[in-house]
Amino acid sequence: MTVPSDQEVSDTGDRFDTAAPELVRFLTARTGRTWPPDTDLFATGGLSSLFAMELVVHLEQTYGVSVRGTDLRLDNFRTVRRMVALVDRLRNSEPGDHGA
Amino acid sequence: MPETVAATAPTVTPAQAAMLAARLVGDRAGDWDRAGRLPVDVVRALNTAGLLAPQIPTGYGGAGWSSLDSGEFTAKVGSLCSSLRSVMTSQAMAAWTIERLADRAQARSLLPRLAATDTAAVAFSEPQAGSDLSAMTTTVTMTGDTLRLDGHKVWVTAADHADLLLVFARLGDQGAVVVVPRATPGVRVHRRADPLGCRAAGHADVWFDAVRLPTSSLLGAGGQSLSLLVTTALSYGRMSVAWGCVGILRACLTAAVAHAGSRHQFGRPLAQHQLVARHLADLWAAEQVATRVCEHASRCWDTGSPEVVTATVLAKYVSAGHATRAAADAVQILASAGAVDGHPVARAYRDAKLMEIIEGSTEMCQLMLADHAVNRR
Repeated sequence: MTVPSDQEVSDTGDRFDTAAPELVRFLTARTGRTWPPDTDLFATGGLSSLFAMELVVHLEQTYGVSVRGTDLRLDNFRTVRRMVALVDRLRNSEPGDHGA
Repeated sequence: MPETVAATAPTVTPAQAAMLAARLVGDRAGDWDRAGRLPVDVVRALNTAGLLAPQIPTGYGGAGWSSLDSGEFTAKVGSLCSSLRSVMTSQAMAAWTIERLADRAQARSLLPRLAATDTAAVAFSEPQAGSDLSAMTTTVTMTGDTLRLDGHKVWVTAADHADLLLVFARLGDQGAVVVVPRATPGVRVHRRADPLGCRAAGHADVWFDAVRLPTSSLLGAGGQSLSLLVTTALSYGRMSVAWGCVGILRACLTAAVAHAGSRHQFGRPLAQHQLVARHLADLWAAEQVATRVCEHASRCWDTGSPEVVTATVLAKYVSAGHATRAAADAVQILASAGAVDGHPVARAYRDAKLMEIIEGSTEMCQLMLADHAVNRR
């Protein structure tokens, strides 16, 4: 973990316009449903925590970030907007070398 | 999921590791099974070689193996002794959980120890929280720079001898993982006698009564989603169990083919009796299917594909189911020759059944796969 993990996730990431469409495409491709930016993915009738793990791996692979430690809160993956904000924060603040 | 690590040559190659494991286990696995204990020197020798958790990144003193290499080695050990393989699963699942959740200082302190000297166990289950881990009641509370842990964990694999216990617990309305040295006051470890399978893997129940530790014992400061924490740790555990089942299948196939080729009844080898031949075909098919599904999951892991999550559940489900059925077939083929405690197929029969229960039962895997089928394209 390279980022203080107790930071609040900002709701307005700089990269929202570029990252959000990609994320929405991924979600639509995997679920066959459309997901507006503020829709709760995990609300009743929504997706599982297993799918949240899939989102973790997708964000890491696509955006070159490392989601670790306290960032593994479901709240960070609850909506498209929150995921974009998380990616934005991790990209802006981590050196990207989790290895020792 | 995998960490990017420096491309350093591993100190032990997978081929050397397989030879070392064969030499360390020899023909003693049956004795260990009957005694219910692994020799300390065998576990230590594997650990010293970095082979209890060979995926620990080289930057932390580990061998830095890929999931695919690690999986093949897990199958090798699993073909020799499922108890020893279980200890590997615990150690590597602990290492993965630390790699994933720890802050940098914690990772630097803990991972090199797990890569060479210390052993670790991971405590999930409780008397009233098995598949439903949301019913967990083990609790961490914080006071200043001290934490207090209270709870009761059951069926903790490798806990009987582990130096460190990674304990999943509640922290307020969130989850947390606490790293507890077993010698900490308030920790009581009670061995589970005579488990059905993996009898020498050191299963134990553990009590934590007002255990006090510095808050730095909380991985990544705690406060994560309990379900994500559990899913993270189990993703490694399931992969390891799946490959372990490939090992069980290989041991059964080897024993069944040898017996059916050499034992004669009604004037010809058993293998030439059609009903026995069908068992052999099913055994071989099971070994092949399990191997391929595990290879797929490991490749997803190694390439960082999001599909790894489902592929791992699939690998565990398919491999454990095949191992259970194939082990029963192998006992059937060997009949009286294999129907004795400690024999490879007798161990396989008991060990495989346990693999349908741990790290997400067959039924829990089915629910997850059904959810995948319904909710995804």
